[in-house]
Amino acid sequence: MSGHLTPLAVSLVIVVAWAVALAVLTARPEPFVAALPIVLVLGLATRRRAPALTVTHEISAARVIEGEAVTVTVTVQAPASVPFVEVLDAVPAACAPGAGRPRALLALAAGGSASLRYDLHAGRGAHGLGTVAIRARDRWGLRAWDSVHTDRKVVRVYPRAVPLRSLPRPVQTHSSVGDYVSPVLGEGIEPGDVRRFAPGDRLRLVNWRASLRLGTLYVTQHHRERNAAVVLMLDTLAQAGPAGDDTLDHSVRAVASLATAYLARKDRVGLLTYGGTIDWVRPATGALQYARIADTLLRADVVFTYVSKDLAFVPPRVLPPRAMVLAVTPLLDARFATAALDLAARGFDLAVLMVSPVDVTRRMLRGAPAERLACRLWELERRASFDRFRRHGIAVMEWRPSDPLEPVLAAHGRRRRPRVAG
Amino acid sequence: MTRLVAAAAALALGMLPPLIAPVPLVAAVAALGLGLAALAVLSLRRGPATAAACVFLSAYALALWLAEPAIGVLGATAEGLAVLALLHPLELARAARRAVVDARVVRSQALGWLALAAGALGAAAVIAVLAGGLASSVPLAAAPLLAAAGALGVVLGLTTALLRRTRAL
Repeated sequence: MSGHLTPLAVSLVIVVAWAVALAVLTARPEPFVAALPIVLVLGLATRRRAPALTVTHEISAARVIEGEAVTVTVTVQAPASVPFVEVLDAVPAACAPGAGRPRALLALAAGGSASLRYDLHAGRGAHGLGTVAIRARDRWGLRAWDSVHTDRKVVRVYPRAVPLRSLPRPVQTHSSVGDYVSPVLGEGIEPGDVRRFAPGDRLRLVNWRASLRLGTLYVTQHHRERNAAVVLMLDTLAQAGPAGDDTLDHSVRAVASLATAYLARKDRVGLLTYGGTIDWVRPATGALQYARIADTLLRADVVFTYVSKDLAFVPPRVLPPRAMVLAVTPLLDARFATAALDLAARGFDLAVLMVSPVDVTRRMLRGAPAERLACRLWELERRASFDRFRRHGIAVMEWRPSDPLEPVLAAHGRRRRPRVAG
Repeated sequence: MTRLVAAAAALALGMLPPLIAPVPLVAAVAALGLGLAALAVLSLRRGPATAAACVFLSAYALALWLAEPAIGVLGATAEGLAVLALLHPLELARAARRAVVDARVVRSQALGWLALAAGALGAAAVIAVLAGGLASSVPLAAAPLLAAAGALGVVLGLTTALLRRTRAL
């Protein structure tokens, strides 16, 4: 702990000096007597030792979903009494205190403790907490001892996923069991074709009605139910909008929602964040896969770099053959469009979810006629750019973040032909 | 709340000198002090607060010099406590800005103030008695020199004690 005189002590010394000078100049004892209480206080400040403080920093949860609060508790203990302790818990820039405040003035009895408790609302990402600045003062605030206690903790704030029922259907399926009805015949629930009985066929597959009518044994064949590989491609090249409500935040929430919904359908889901840095998660199924995707989404951020990225950097296993690629982008950077068209040219089943930056930007503006006109022109310009994708047979869905995602996906599902190939 | 204490102290400090000597000059100096104190209370800046305290003391000394009343230890001690009540709560208010204040802090400060008031009054009484005894033995010609040397000694002694203690930490 480093101790120092506070500016108040300096002020008091100046006032005492002035009072004593006035007493001498006016030849009156009263100014000198007036300085006495101040001299007494200054005298008390000379006999104080640095207090020994023990600081503990606790958080209620290390992993939360966006919108949930983390309760932070800072406890200060002292073996001897400290009349005046200032506690300031450093709050990361992307976090905002809710109930309570991260700053407190506490008084500690000998052997006692005092706590500071407040709620913290954090935006998506991993946030470092645990740095507490302490300033202990003597009773009159003339001497202060500063120290910084660090007990580093990380709070991970995951994107909030909304439940989705209507999803873009993949054109091609894979070999594992899933929810999509494949045109390939085999074991399944959905009836497909009827053919003559062949040695090796199971007796329970015999279609007795057809067999009785035709006088020989016939069996019912079924469509296989298969899963698909879905790669969610997130554009992190650029973002627009205010912090915490920008296009990247909305894109990340959309990706989290889509990943949850596809994983619930037993699909193999992967993630590719395409931006200044390329990050990926290989397609897989299960709850653990969602944890992997969510952890990768925490790191998703716009990173500026002069090095142009290329899909050649991405390992082939991240983009398996016959996978559906669902790109989520505000389409603010032309490099993403190039990469998406490259994927379509390589034969991937591509769908693009456009997160409207116009909607997000419009909310930041005051709504002046010129601003409204500019937004309208921007929107028209963007719609014209969608034709570039549509000409290549790529499905484009435009989503305004102020609207729910489900209807956008549902409308797309109705337009897209359900020709799932095995 | 702490700002109110400082404002009340400033008001008392501004009212006292014109009551001792109802002269326009004293009132003007006291008004200047009140202006500085208002600035300090509103902005919580230390500079105007220190300046206000010095101006109030000047108005008080000027009023005493002009009116030449009988020596009053009680009033002078109250003046000193009021100066402290102007400066200290402002420092407290600065620290409490956008912070949660524990009730024990308020209690501890209140107890400290009570103890200080009692101690200051006692010390003033003791010094007044000692000074009365000493005054008769000091030659009249040496009194100003002795007072100046004593004043310098008090200020230097305090500063040295505080700085030495700070270096030792």
